[in-house]
Amino acid sequence: MHRRSSQLSIAAVALVLGLLAVVQLRSQSGGSALDARSAQELTVLVANLNARNDQLRTEVARLEQELSSLLADQSRGQTSVGQLRSDLARVRSWSGLDPVVGSGIRITISGPIAANGIADLLNELRNTGAEAIAIADVRVVAGTIVGGEAGAVSVDDTALGDPFEVSAVGRPETLTGSLTRVGGIVAQLGATFPGAVVTVTPLDRLVLPATVRDLRPAHGTPSL
Amino acid sequence: MTSLGARLRAVPGWQVTLGMALLALGFLIAAQLRSEGPRVRYTSQERGPLVETVLELQRNQETLKDRILGLNERIAGILQDQEGSAALVKQLNGELEAARLAAGLVAVEGPGIILRLEDSGTPTPPGGNDDDYRVGGLDLRIVVDELWLAGAEAIAVNGERVIGSTAILDIGGSILVNSAYLAPPYEVTALGPADLYGQLSGSVGFVEFVRARSEAFGIKLSFAEPPVVVVPAYAGSVTLRYGRPAPDASATP
Repeated sequence: MHRRSSQLSIAAVALVLGLLAVVQLRSQSGGSALDARSAQELTVLVANLNARNDQLRTEVARLEQELSSLLADQSRGQTSVGQLRSDLARVRSWSGLDPVVGSGIRITISGPIAANGIADLLNELRNTGAEAIAIADVRVVAGTIVGGEAGAVSVDDTALGDPFEVSAVGRPETLTGSLTRVGGIVAQLGATFPGAVVTVTPLDRLVLPATVRDLRPAHGTPSL
Repeated sequence: MTSLGARLRAVPGWQVTLGMALLALGFLIAAQLRSEGPRVRYTSQERGPLVETVLELQRNQETLKDRILGLNERIAGILQDQEGSAALVKQLNGELEAARLAAGLVAVEGPGIILRLEDSGTPTPPGGNDDDYRVGGLDLRIVVDELWLAGAEAIAVNGERVIGSTAILDIGGSILVNSAYLAPPYEVTALGPADLYGQLSGSVGFVEFVRARSEAFGIKLSFAEPPVVVVPAYAGSVTLRYGRPAPDASATP
């Protein structure tokens, strides 16, 4: 027999053999489970699967609703936290518990001036709408008192130098105009304390420090 | 017979191998046809789509189960976060309440005194100044300052809480406190330690005030020391329009 043709025929047989072996092995596993079922059995299986899948879909819908409601709560909660933080910052900076920054005026006072003159200036600043006031780095809060005679004035136990500054946050034009108007507080102080020089400078930005006092009432409790 | 054995032994090895291979081939073909057999028994038109449907439904089921697992995980994660944020809200609320109390935005009660100022009963003598015989803004400011100096922690004038931004002004016959018009008699309520009145009456400034206003012009000054005084909350705007919290604000107790 021809060597070449015999080799070819052996190869062909081996190939077919191999293929069939593989197909046979594959058909023994997996798919043959379905292959072994009748159309009736398959119909029942389809119905079961459909019912089960419907249950799963209902569960998915329920979970999706729960998730979306939780996400809404979470975003509301984050809004609450944000709102609280902003309220807290606002109350603290307004009341003097925290520093405050903004436009306003700086009043420089040199020469002898008594405590009652500074108290009058303070009252006038409050009247014209100063949102925050500091006398030489001492933030003015409820209970801040100026004391002492001309030349030896102090605010809350802090001695005031010569010159010293009073800072106020507010609308610079309004504050300046009100203080320096004819017959206004600057004019009055000039008349009462002739040796004192009071100058008002509007500023775009000034920073007032926080108070160092403990503002919590030690003898009072919240009244309902 | 030896010829048979001899003929068998004479068969080349490759032919034996080939024969056996062809035998195996035959078996496999038969087995393949047999396993295909049952399929042939039913209507192939029904079964094809049904099998496809079953396979697809099984795939759907896997997808749905995965989705359920994923949703459960996300929900568990959010519930954990919620516990944390509820604690944060509680903490911030506490801080806010403490800040409001310190800021005068909360009514407070405790030990204290009430000072009452009334216009003088003495008519103005000719040539005299009417203002001297009436309680004015400066009178109230002096009384308030003296009370702070004596240790008061919260003060109100006719129900108007005195805070850091409170101005006290004379307007016509009235006194303006926190932009509210007040009329006499003026009651200054002060909350503070037990020795508040003692400190007040011992103050040089207060003694001078009493002499200059009450003794000289008849301004009526009286005081009461009830067991409990109530200083109302500041009722005004807590807004900064030209100021804002400084960026490096640190927490001050």
